[in-house]
Amino acid sequence: MKKILALLLAAVMVLSLAACSNNAGTPASNPPAEDSTPAENPPDKPDDNQPSGDKIDINVIAAEYGQNTKQWWADFQKEFNAAYDNINLTVEVVSWNDIYTVVNTRLGGNNAPDILNIDVFADYQSDGLLLPAQDYVSEETYAKFYEAFLDQSVVDGTVWAIPDLASARAMYYNVDILEAAGVDVPTTWDELKAACEAIKAYDSSIYPWGIDMTTDEGQAAFAYYIWNNGSDFTDADGNWTLNDPKNVEAIEYAIGLYNDGLTNTDPANETRYNLQDLFGAGKLAMVIGPNSIPTYIADNYAKANTPESEQINYAFAAIPTNGGNASVSAGVMDRFMCFDNGHSAEKIEAIKTFFDFFYEDSRYSDWVLMEGFLPATSAGGEIVASSDPNMAPWVDIVGSCKFYPTAKAEWADVKQGVINVEQQALLGGNVQELLDNLQAEIAG
Amino acid sequence: MSKLTAPKAAPAGSTTARSGKKVFRKIEPYIWIAPSVILMAIFIVVPICKVFQMSMNQVTKTNQLKGFNNFENFIKVVKAPAFTLVLKNTLVWTIAVVVLSTVLGFMLALVLNNKFRGRKIARAIVVFPWATTLVIQASAWGFIINKDYGTLNTLLMKIGLISQPVNWTPTPEAYFAWEIACGIFVTIPFVTFCVLSGLQSIDTSYYEAATVDGANYWQKLFKITLPLVKSSLTVSTVLNIIYVFNSFPIIWTMTKGDPANRTDTLVTYLYKLAFYNGRSGEAAAVSVIGFLILLVCASVYMIYTLRKGDGDL
Repeated sequence: MKKILALLLAAVMVLSLAACSNNAGTPASNPPAEDSTPAENPPDKPDDNQPSGDKIDINVIAAEYGQNTKQWWADFQKEFNAAYDNINLTVEVVSWNDIYTVVNTRLGGNNAPDILNIDVFADYQSDGLLLPAQDYVSEETYAKFYEAFLDQSVVDGTVWAIPDLASARAMYYNVDILEAAGVDVPTTWDELKAACEAIKAYDSSIYPWGIDMTTDEGQAAFAYYIWNNGSDFTDADGNWTLNDPKNVEAIEYAIGLYNDGLTNTDPANETRYNLQDLFGAGKLAMVIGPNSIPTYIADNYAKANTPESEQINYAFAAIPTNGGNASVSAGVMDRFMCFDNGHSAEKIEAIKTFFDFFYEDSRYSDWVLMEGFLPATSAGGEIVASSDPNMAPWVDIVGSCKFYPTAKAEWADVKQGVINVEQQALLGGNVQELLDNLQAEIAG
Repeated sequence: MSKLTAPKAAPAGSTTARSGKKVFRKIEPYIWIAPSVILMAIFIVVPICKVFQMSMNQVTKTNQLKGFNNFENFIKVVKAPAFTLVLKNTLVWTIAVVVLSTVLGFMLALVLNNKFRGRKIARAIVVFPWATTLVIQASAWGFIINKDYGTLNTLLMKIGLISQPVNWTPTPEAYFAWEIACGIFVTIPFVTFCVLSGLQSIDTSYYEAATVDGANYWQKLFKITLPLVKSSLTVSTVLNIIYVFNSFPIIWTMTKGDPANRTDTLVTYLYKLAFYNGRSGEAAAVSVIGFLILLVCASVYMIYTLRKGDGDL
């Protein structure tokens, strides 16, 4: 009896292991995409680079921007597959928390997606995994993008990715607090400091100015101050200029506001979301934030059933600047890129069809508005601006904002480096020395 | 004849059957443990080997291995100015949490071992911090000590002890101390239950005999209780050293190792290296260093305690 039982157990084990190995050996082209229906994506397709039957498979990994993203892509996939009989599109929507791990694991297993929607591209490009954008985007679609956006994805004179959407930043202020403190909306750094002091004098329990220098997004604070001091991360030739005197001056100014007690208590640990919460609760007078803040605050009020009398009266304005420079907004942009999986000419045509379909003006503006973002095409911008008057000023801002130098391979180190500099400076470190060290480490 | 051959044939058959049974009995235990050995190999040994492999390879930001690089990852990690600080933090974190939670857990176990009304409820309450997810625990602690909307300030202001909110985390060291406090709070239940199981197995006749001999409370504690729960304490301490050393959620939820690595331990540091800086090779090197430190600490501790004559682990 025991013997039979043991044999049975061993057999089950061997079978289960065999089943596992069979699974692992399934062609790389069949990711467990949640949105794909079995009929559309049979499990035994040989290779996604070859047409299966008469259909060409395209698989896409897309980032999940919010609660509506999954449904939007599911509808898109259905519509696209219905419109094109010869193409079988599969879109896998992955949360931001997991997407880098998912993509890197797929790359490690030589199982790259055909198209990826994510924020960064330089690492994939430097490993030689991407195709140039003009190879897989039709001329009509390519002509739609804002030039400044395409410039953000250039390495060695070639555009490697195309923008899918953007967000921009501006200064939000609590109208009632500024009025009560008797100050106008600040436009320069001197005015900003004076306004902070007036607010502090009016009510010491209110934080005049919000700064986020956390690991989450400290690089944004760095960008706000240096860009609005007429400086940048790099010079015109693309060389790192992190310890530029103007950068030192900018960061010293921000740290000075903290040292004078004019900011939130703990900029190294209070994230943008903490600041948005403080702002929504009327405890913070001014903060730089993205165009999604109104949605964020409204959601919070709705969740907490905040009575109208306790809701804040706020507006937004350009980020204050120094030395007569024009105000610069910080833009954040995400992208589509296409992996070089040895695609056939038919497949490249199918991918072009995908992008033409996606960037069709009304469908594209629908995509952008779906989660409250900003468009990356001029036609999309016009539609968004006319359909939502609140978005109109943002469409203007996004057309002229600056972006992080994400096309440079050292960006990840620079990003962490400037956050470290800010945090050391908050603890009393010398900004000049810290930036000198960082510059030496990055530029060699 | 047939009468003679028949009995002869029977033993021959039974010998084969018996030897077959013998062989089966020999391999039987291996068949039974095979599934767990295979599972362990797949989910423990393979990832460990992979980490060692990554730590010695040049790894690109998209996780492609580009060949052996002369231990460059280790050299870079050790040369980084933050590494010494992070290593020191890790040691302080591990020693403080393990030592204090062991002392407090032991004391709590002594209390819970007494017979009193509501003992079962008290024991159940002790389990709560253990049964809650660490991320939730750390978020709750973060919420309690927050200056702007924290419950600690609200409470102290309501009972009139303070007139305006106090910043409980004015320095990185203060933040680290709160994280250690949270670590101790969630570790105490584990120690308490390990020690409690040891205490319950001690025969009361030892204490009765000691009482008759005129031993006081402290003598009984040090001469009877401690030696007899030593094996339970060893198990809990070794496991705690490993758990606490590798603990990620508390520090990550409360400070993410900020500001400027002042509250980072090896685990949060390597996470940042891997997923924020995209330096998987160096992150793997930190992981290997942590693994070796733990291996040495746990082995030394186990050998030391076992040598002292407690071979019944």
